[in-house]
Amino acid sequence: MNKVITINLNGNAFPLEESGYEALRTYLEDAARALEGNPDRDEIIADIEQSIADKFRAVLGPYKTVVASREVERIIVEMGPVEGGAPGSDTGAAGGGTSGGAAAPAGPAEAAAAPGGSVRRLYRIRDGAMLGGVCNGLAIYFGVDVTIIRIVFVLLAFVSGIGALAYLIMMIVVPRANTPEKMAAATGSPSTAQEFIRRAKEGYYEGMKSFRSRREHREWRRRFRREMRGWRQSFKEKMRANADQWRRNWHWQWTRHPAYGCRPYVATPFVSLLKTLLDVAFLFALVSLVATRGAFGFHLPGGMHLWLALIILFVGYHVLAWPLRAMKHACGYGAWGPFGFRPAVLVLDFLIWAAVVGLILWYGFHHSQQVREITDKIPPAVHDGVDSFRAWWARR
Amino acid sequence: MSINEKFIPIKKGLLEFLVLKIIAADKVYAADILRELSETEFATQEGTLYPLLSKMRREQLVDYEWKESEAGPPRKYYQLTAKGRERLRETTDYWQKISGTVKSLGQKSGSSQ
Repeated sequence: MNKVITINLNGNAFPLEESGYEALRTYLEDAARALEGNPDRDEIIADIEQSIADKFRAVLGPYKTVVASREVERIIVEMGPVEGGAPGSDTGAAGGGTSGGAAAPAGPAEAAAAPGGSVRRLYRIRDGAMLGGVCNGLAIYFGVDVTIIRIVFVLLAFVSGIGALAYLIMMIVVPRANTPEKMAAATGSPSTAQEFIRRAKEGYYEGMKSFRSRREHREWRRRFRREMRGWRQSFKEKMRANADQWRRNWHWQWTRHPAYGCRPYVATPFVSLLKTLLDVAFLFALVSLVATRGAFGFHLPGGMHLWLALIILFVGYHVLAWPLRAMKHACGYGAWGPFGFRPAVLVLDFLIWAAVVGLILWYGFHHSQQVREITDKIPPAVHDGVDSFRAWWARR
Repeated sequence: MSINEKFIPIKKGLLEFLVLKIIAADKVYAADILRELSETEFATQEGTLYPLLSKMRREQLVDYEWKESEAGPPRKYYQLTAKGRERLRETTDYWQKISGTVKSLGQKSGSSQ
């Protein structure tokens, strides 16, 4: 008499003799190890499991309900050892033949595309993205962790809203890596997020493999989900507590130091005017840099990346704008100011802003060919942006 | 070393070419490919074929669709993509060149046998 273990092969249940089960488990584990680093690992394993299931089904009949150990062993021999086939290990029969193996092992996608050699291009990358893939693309472009880029954007968005604006602009201007070729041009290797998800899935898969019964497996899955939920919940709570703390600190800072000798209605027009001019100059430089690779008669040197220039522009703008913004707050612009919230200051500020922007736009339309060219380009860019936003929304 | 062993790497390298040829002839699923190869010198096993098929799919040479089968669960039926047909054409040309070379080499001088 032999103990029988029921296994689940790609969704099919089979009773196996115990030693046959051990042999099969070893075979599948070896297969998983051989396919380490293969992007299609899970799919290949599923195919192999399906194929074993077909073979098991062939040996079972109405009066034979258990797969015997020697049958399992025979089937394993029939299947043959699973070969790695990791990217770059084998490029198949076609090609140049005996080139002396000079080419370094490169992923097939990389070899097929990216005619520009090692030059990376900036694309929005949707895989693993939270919104439009801008941060993801930047992270891969600069070779830094996506979290750092996200933090920078969020901080900029908090400080002034410029992070959100920059994100929106890049969402419109930067093309999306929607083909494998573009993906390869954006990066040589799979993105960090993708890799992370793949590893997480693998861990999940490994966990599922080693369970002896379905019940145990189900129990484990339930626990895994519960833990994930709990983790997410505590993370959210922590973030909320952090935000509260920030707000309190911020408030404390302003309420405890009210001693600015500021006369809001005198200082505001002056500060507002400066700030508006700075904003307009910044926006003009931004658009002009993107459209013509130059601004204010200055042109980017040949080797310099546009994105590096944009970042320098962002940083420079903030260095100049920070004192002005602090002054505005001090003069009662916002709820956090030492004099509280003064709607009249806000209205005055807005009027000045509108007047300056209106004047500049009017002047630009009537006197500058460049401005007209740029405004002509905006509608298609906006359409593209709206479309991609809608696609993103539809996927949610 | 038997002649069979000597040719193992060559046969392995030719496998993709042969799989392309089989898929080009008809929509097939993996067991059909194995059966067709099993009667030849190129007989192979699931453990080799599945990784190869998935690599070919990743290189966009083949594509598959799920089809219901009369017995058992749905199966993946493979077919060639445009890129796969192009690759098959190139490989066939190259193969003809190679086998031409093998045939003609040594015949002009007649020195080697």
